[in-house]
This record gives sequence, C-alpha cells and structure tokens, in this order.
Amino acid sequence: MPVVTLHQERFSELVGRPLTAEEMAKWLPWIGLDVEEVGRDYVRVEYSPNRVDFSSHVGVARAFKGLMELEVGLPQYEVKEGDIVVNVDESIGEVRPYILGAVVKGLKLDEDVVKELMEMQEDLHWGVGRNRKKASIGVHDLNAVEPPFAYTTADPDAVKFVPLGWAKEASLREILAKHEKGLAFRHLINWALRYPLLIDKRNEVLSMPPIVNGELTRVSPRTKDVFIDVTGPDFNAVTKCLNVFVTALADLGGVVESVVVKYVHQELISPDLRPSTVRLRLDYARRLLGLRITERKAVECLNRCRLGAKAIEGGVLEVSIPAYRIDILHEVDLVEELAIGYGYYRLKPKMPATITVGEQHPTSKLVNFVRQIMIGLGFTEAMNFTLTNEAIHYAKMRGARGKPIRLANPVSSEYSMMREELLPSLLKNLADNVHESYPQRLFEVSDVLRIEPKAETRSERRPHVAGVSAYANASYTEARCIVDSLLNNLGVKRWKIKATRHPSFIPGRVASIYIGRKKVGVLGEVHPEVLNNFGIGNPVAAFEMDLEPLMKFKR
Amino acid sequence: MPHLSVNERKTLLALRRLGGRASVSDVAATSGLIDAAVMRATLSLTSKGLVRVHERGMNVVSITDEGLSYAKEGLPERRLLNSLLKLGGEARPEEAAKHARLNEGLLQIALGWLLKKGWANLYRPELRHPYHVLSTSREQPLGEDERLLSLLSEKGPLTVESLSEGLRKAVEVLRRRGIVNVKRKVERELELTEEGWRLVRRGIRLIEEVSQLTPELIATGRWRDVKLKRFDVLAPGPALHPGRAHPLQRIIQEIREVFLEMGFTEVRGPLVETAFWNFDALFQPQDHPAREMQDTFYLAEPSVGELMDVERVKRVAKVHEDGWITGSSGWRYSWDFEEAKRLVLRTHTTATTIRYLAEHKKPPIRVFSIDRVYRNEKVDYKHLAEFHQIEGIIMDKGVTFRDLLGVMKEFHRKLGLRKVLFRPTYFPYTEPSAQAMAYLEKKRAWLELCGMGVFRPEVLAPLDVKHPVLAWGAGLERLAMLKLGVEDVRLLYKNDLRWVRGTPVCLW
Repeated sequence: MPVVTLHQERFSELVGRPLTAEEMAKWLPWIGLDVEEVGRDYVRVEYSPNRVDFSSHVGVARAFKGLMELEVGLPQYEVKEGDIVVNVDESIGEVRPYILGAVVKGLKLDEDVVKELMEMQEDLHWGVGRNRKKASIGVHDLNAVEPPFAYTTADPDAVKFVPLGWAKEASLREILAKHEKGLAFRHLINWALRYPLLIDKRNEVLSMPPIVNGELTRVSPRTKDVFIDVTGPDFNAVTKCLNVFVTALADLGGVVESVVVKYVHQELISPDLRPSTVRLRLDYARRLLGLRITERKAVECLNRCRLGAKAIEGGVLEVSIPAYRIDILHEVDLVEELAIGYGYYRLKPKMPATITVGEQHPTSKLVNFVRQIMIGLGFTEAMNFTLTNEAIHYAKMRGARGKPIRLANPVSSEYSMMREELLPSLLKNLADNVHESYPQRLFEVSDVLRIEPKAETRSERRPHVAGVSAYANASYTEARCIVDSLLNNLGVKRWKIKATRHPSFIPGRVASIYIGRKKVGVLGEVHPEVLNNFGIGNPVAAFEMDLEPLMKFKR
Repeated sequence: MPHLSVNERKTLLALRRLGGRASVSDVAATSGLIDAAVMRATLSLTSKGLVRVHERGMNVVSITDEGLSYAKEGLPERRLLNSLLKLGGEARPEEAAKHARLNEGLLQIALGWLLKKGWANLYRPELRHPYHVLSTSREQPLGEDERLLSLLSEKGPLTVESLSEGLRKAVEVLRRRGIVNVKRKVERELELTEEGWRLVRRGIRLIEEVSQLTPELIATGRWRDVKLKRFDVLAPGPALHPGRAHPLQRIIQEIREVFLEMGFTEVRGPLVETAFWNFDALFQPQDHPAREMQDTFYLAEPSVGELMDVERVKRVAKVHEDGWITGSSGWRYSWDFEEAKRLVLRTHTTATTIRYLAEHKKPPIRVFSIDRVYRNEKVDYKHLAEFHQIEGIIMDKGVTFRDLLGVMKEFHRKLGLRKVLFRPTYFPYTEPSAQAMAYLEKKRAWLELCGMGVFRPEVLAPLDVKHPVLAWGAGLERLAMLKLGVEDVRLLYKNDLRWVRGTPVCLW
C-alpha cells in the first residue's frame, strides 16, 4: 500500500486551522487513511491504491476539510481557455496513441512541493498507469519551450537530446540502452520502428514518452508555469492521470489553462475537469447500510465527502463526482461515501435476525479425531508448510523424483513444489531439534497435494497423518503399535498390514497399511542413510497414512 | 523424639534387653543385625547422645586347625586310654596305638600326656621283659582342657576373661600344645545413656521403612507394618513433555469454536485454484498488480485448469469489460479467457467462499474457513509465503452493513476483544468496506485484525446471487503472534521443540 507523510505545519496551513499531529492521527482514519506512524510534527499514513488523490498534502486536506465541515461540497475547478496546441502525428497511432495535456500557471513551488509532485506522479504511474504501461505523465517548465508542441515519432538514431539526469545528449536508442529509466521501461516501446517523442516548435525535445523527460524542461522550485502531458494506449487511464494531477496543482493555487489536442480526425480541449454524475437511489443506500436516513441528511453526508448532490426525483439523488475521484465505478461506491460522510463511528452495530445452525466440515471432524488419538499416544503436533522442494522431498528420502505440482515462479529454492507426503517435513523437524531432549515424538495431520488430471483445478488436496518417534530404542515394533492403536481407535475394522519394500525404510522392517483392498499407507523403521541425509542421530520409527479413504469408508 | 532409622531402633531395643550395656556382638546377636549394621547405627546413636561406647581390651581364645580335629576325635591321650581300656587295661603301647589308630608321632604325644596326667603306668613286667607294657585301672573323667576344647568347638572363640579359673588354666595348657590361639582384641561395649534410657522406657516401635509401595505390600496388607519413607517433596522431578497440539492449532480450534457457536458452517476448497475463482470472479481486473508474478504463485505443472460454466464465465467477462447489467462502468479492458484459466496457489480463502456462493443460492448462508493461503513473498520476520486466513461470510435476505458490524463486534467479543471500532478502508471486491480496530488492554494498543465489507454487485450479479453478502477476513498468524507473544512469524512453523514444549497448552 502506498504511503504519504503529512507534515503538521503544511497540512494545518492547507486545512486552514492549526492541528497537532495527534489531532491529525485521530481524525484521518475516518476518511479511510491508515495511520502508520505519528511523529512530533508529522503523521505517516497509508492510503488505498484506488485513491491516488490521497498521494499529496492538498489531496488529503481537500477530503479532511469536508469531514471537519470546514469546506463541504464539490470542489470547483475552473479551466481558462488557453491557446497552446498539441499536434498529434498519425505515426504515433501504432506505438502510444493517446495524449492529453494541460497548462498550469502561477504556481508557488518549493523543494517539498516539487518532491511531492514527483511522488504523486510515480503513484499514478503505478496505480493507474500500471507501471507506465497504460499511461505516463510528463511535467515540464513551460517557459523553457515554445508552443505549439508535437506528439510524434522519431527514428531511434536520428534524434538526440539530453535526458533528465544526464549532462550530455544521447540518441533515443542510447537512452533506451543506458539510461536508468530506459532500462526499466524500454519493453514498452523497443518493439516499435520509431519511438514516441514530444517536441516544441523549434524541435526541442520535451520528453520521450513513456521513458524520460528532457533536461531542458526540468521543473525546479523556481518554476512558475508548467505544461503537463499524459500519454498512453489507454485513453481512460490517460484521462484519469491527468485529472488527478491537474486538480492537485489547482488546489496548490495554480491557474489551469486548457490546451487543444489536434488528432488527425478530431480536436480535444484538455483537460476536462467537469464533474461526472452518477445517480444514487436512497432506498438502495438505506437497504445496504441498514440506515434510515432522510434525503436532506444524505445530501449533507455526501457533501462532507466533497461530492455534489441534489434530489432529482422521488428518492433519487444526482451525485456530482469531482474529476480527481477515479474510484467511483458504481452506485454502490456512493453508498460507501454516504456512510463515510455519516461517520462509521455513528453506525450502530446490530445482529442479523436469522438463526442458522453451524456444522463442522467432515474432513475437520476426522482430522480432529486423528489429532486427539495421536496426542493421546504422546505425540506432539508439528505444523509444516505444504510448499517444499525436491531435495527434501525426494533426494534425502532416497526416493525417485516424482511428478509433483511445481511452481512457475518460486520465490526461493526452498519452495519449488507442493508436498505429496508429510514424512519428509517431519524428518526435517527432527533434524532441526537434535539438541532437544529425547524421546521426540512428532505428528502432523494435514494436507498433501497431488496432480489429478480429471479435476477442475487439475489437482487435489488430501488429508494425511504421519508420525515419527525418535530415540535410542525406536524400532519397527513401536511404529506397528502406533498404527494398530490409531486404526483401532478410529474404529476402522478391515485393516491389514503387509510386508513391503520402500527406499526410505530398512528392508525387512517396513510394511504397508491396507484398508480393505486399498493401500493407504506405510510404516517402518527409517533407513539409516535417510537419517544420515537429514543429520538425525537416533533411530526413527515412522508411519504415514492417507485419510481420504477413511472419509469414504465412514460414510 | 529424634528421627530414628529402623536399625537404630533395633539397636536400642537390643541394648535394653541386654540390661543397658552389652558388647557389639551381643547386641548384634540379640537384634538380628550384622555387626557392621550395629556399628553404623551406633555411630549415629552416639551423635544423637542416646548411646555411649566403651572400649575394652581382652584376650580371645580360639581353636586352631589341629585343635579342630582333636575336638572331633578327642585328644590323643584320651583316644589311647580308651583303646587301652578296650584291650583289657593292659597292652603294649604300639598295640594300643594301633587300636586307637594313632600314628607314631601322635603315639609319643599321647604317651607323654597319658603318663603326665597319671592316667596309666608304663613298665616292664620283668626285668628282662622284651618290651614295656601300658596299664591302667580305670576310666578317667573329662579334664578342664577337654571341656575347653568342646566349648570352643561348640561356641567358637571366647574371651579368656569370661572363663572359670580352671578353664583359664586349660587355655594356657592348650595354647602351649598348639591346640588353641589367644589373641588380644579391643571390644566395644555399648551403653544406653540417660537420654537413651528415657527414650527406650517411653517405648520404641519397630517398623520397617519402605520407599516404594509395591503391589505386593498392598495385596498382603503388609503396608500397615511398614513405614513409607518420607520424600523430599521440594525436590524437582525430571521434565515431562506431554503429547500436545501445536500452539497455532490450538488457536485455530479456538476460532473454529467461535464460528461454530455463532452458527457458521465450515467449508473447504482447493488450494490450487484457477485465476478465475481466485481473481476474476472477485472483480479483480486482469492487469491488477496483485495478479502479477511477484505477488502470486503460478504453477508450471499443471499450469491451466478448466472453467466449468461457460455462461457464468461470459457474465464475469462482461462485468469486467463494461459492467454488464450491474450499472457499473466495469474496468474497460478486453477480458482474456486464457488468463482466467491459469492455475495459482490461492491467495485468499475468498476463492473458496465465492465458489460456495456460486453453488449455494438459497438464503440464509453462513460459512467460514480457516485455511492455508499463499503469497509470493520474500520470507522474513513479518512475512510468510504460506499462511492461514480466517474468513466468514453471511448471505441472507435483507442483511445490512450494520449487521456486518454487529456480527464482527460479537466475533471480536468472543475472542476476548471488547472494544472495537470500525473505520473506512478499501478492498477491491467489497463496498462499503471497513477495517476493525480492536483495543488490546494488555498492550495498550489498537490491533487491526479483520477487514470486512459487503460484496460488490459486480461480484454477485454474474454468479446470480440475489441477496447481500457480508464478508470478513483476518490473518491467523497476526492474532497468533499476539496471543503467543511471538515476535518472528517464522517461529510459528519452525516446530522448534523448545518453543512448542515450552508454550502452555492452555492459552488465555
């Protein structure tokens, strides 16, 4: 989750009344922010990725003022008609087809604000732009360039400019191959013959979207007027990014001016900061929240969330949504806004009237019986991961490599597959506990996973039980006693033990467990080579049994 | 009364019977103990001031090996005399010796003592008679020396000082003949002190002391006659490790009980899940960051699953693309069927509850699950790649967000968390959503345990669920760490026996 640090002094200034860090921490959660840390003069909050408008002081202050009723209702954003034109070249269509722009003048920036704008830009790149894939933003010092601008493409070797952070100019190809941002984002354009480029009247480069801006238009604390471009293949994402960013600049005191974006077949005036509208049926909201609320009160609540609202017909409100609120998809989102405006803390919890009868899952029932018996036999329960690796599962057990469920993207070599048996992890547990007192008796009753081609998910989980007993006198006899006792106490009738061979056990000291004609498990004395492989210094009696057949057997 | 062992008691009682003063051997004989046991008891009785020890030097006479054979067959002179009498009172010495089966050496000894004791005469009947004749007229009574010999062979060594004067003289005679030995010896005599007398007069019960009560003692009733030894009840015993459930399992069971008591039915679903049920059915757009490789485990083998109900899949696709009939704007992208077929390790148990909802449409429904989920995370003290999620849902006619808050309040109360607040938050598939904050008295801190919300219409409509669905979820490990006082989440799955054995079974 993204995080923003709100400084008490700046925040107070934007809110328009003095606030302590404690007061901020007390009230910020009620607009949906998660307080991470409260400092002497700052509060660090986490915000949801769908509320990118919370990534700046102004954005949070805007919402906060509503909650505190210092300023309610829809924030108004005026866009003055500007005369800057962005010409869109036809060739861009195949690489990164859309561009929108805006001009903001009269800004009073400082180091902190510039830094915050960059962070906001990154949050938008990630949250809305999906890591610049759908949209990316460029902010430029307007006075360093001369309009009109052109959004076009260029031959990777024909154009050179100085990218942000570099002292020398380089070709587009070089930038893609060597610049930090080029390396990070080149996959977005390097498949194209010509790369996207934003240039001014004199062919000076503003940026190479979505990779990097030119050093020429770098924004500094002295910058007063900026030009913003947002490019991308997803027009919806492009619009959202621009709106969130420009409204934040407007709240910083900038004057927004429109630009004309000339596509081949149409002209757009950008930005469009007019609110959108969604209808909210009050009955729907009342039913969902379980709250009897009047029309007038509902309007007040929405206003506190900085939404405009007016009754249009019986029980229906027309809600105006400011351009920066890109998270409203459905009427239901307004129901939540209404609840936030009402105050979650004022919602009285109640209990549903319907009575239901709870029931355990049959597998849990069986597993709990097994657990009870194993504990009664003096065993201590272990809980291991179902994620494991081939070394533990096969090699150390002297077993042949199987065909387990394998991960496509393991996070480490420790986890590369799903366990098919419980015993390997139990032996690992014994190996990890060689310094603890003996006897050590461990069991696990939990799931193993297997490929099952007929299943919808091509796999199945089965409950197993396994136990190990390690100490100087552990032997086959003990394993046999435990298995007998377990099966008898589970009330299983037709079970048999038959001699068998198994690479993990000592020949002549290993047997299979059968229920009816079905082989369900194995018991025996663990092979000394296996003990060596794990580094266990004591003999180990062990068993493992599939419990799934018992589920059927019980029914 | 000081604590007395059985042997000490026996020693005191024997001394009393022997008149208050007696030798160690007498005490041993009377008490039935061996000498060494009496000496050990005496040692501690002396230290308790109950017995005084007197040491006395004396001579002890005992029989030699030669003497032993004389004791059996008689002294040689007695044997010679007896033979002589049988031969008529007169015979040649050689003849008598032959009759007595004495060899030449013994004959000389026998002859010497026979004559010395005056039991017979030796003479030549005539001056020129060729040999001497031995002659006696009567039997002789046993001498003191012979009495001493039989006494010693009967009773063993005796103190010279305890013998009559006649016997004392015989000791000297026999000693010179090499038939007895006399040795100097220190004898210890035990005597009851004043204190000892007081004690024995008060009476001492003689009881055997036993450490282990045996089946035999119980069966025979002999336990009444013995004293069960007192143990050092403060001494610690060796450590004992009972069989037990894993601490985390204890917590799982506790929460299961809460759900069951609240009328919830347990559900269990696949751990390997299609992206469809894990993400798409929950209105998570296919380009959502959570679906990327660095957050979700995808499978190499098997890699794709099956999407069962094609119509349902199409409805989900529509909702993603343009909101279908829900009135939602949708995510406005082109939904990919293949992407939805990919198999993942489920990232939340909601994949299972949503499956359940798709198959069970009749209200009311209350189900829960506490089960494994997976995230492709780097494992550290705060994060695991595999952990447990707690989840509950309610589907019913007319249930509201306030009902959700009520159920959550009760759920927390049952877990011992009485002070709960709900604040707004965001989850991709619920609206409205809330985060519960529970106050922990012990830590004086707020804990964020459960996230909750009402399922979005975009989730419910394609599955044809007609009534509101209230849902909440929480991480089990977070709660477990608090309850168990664990700082590093990895410890929960290390199965470190020191920790497992050291964690109380009963958690409050």
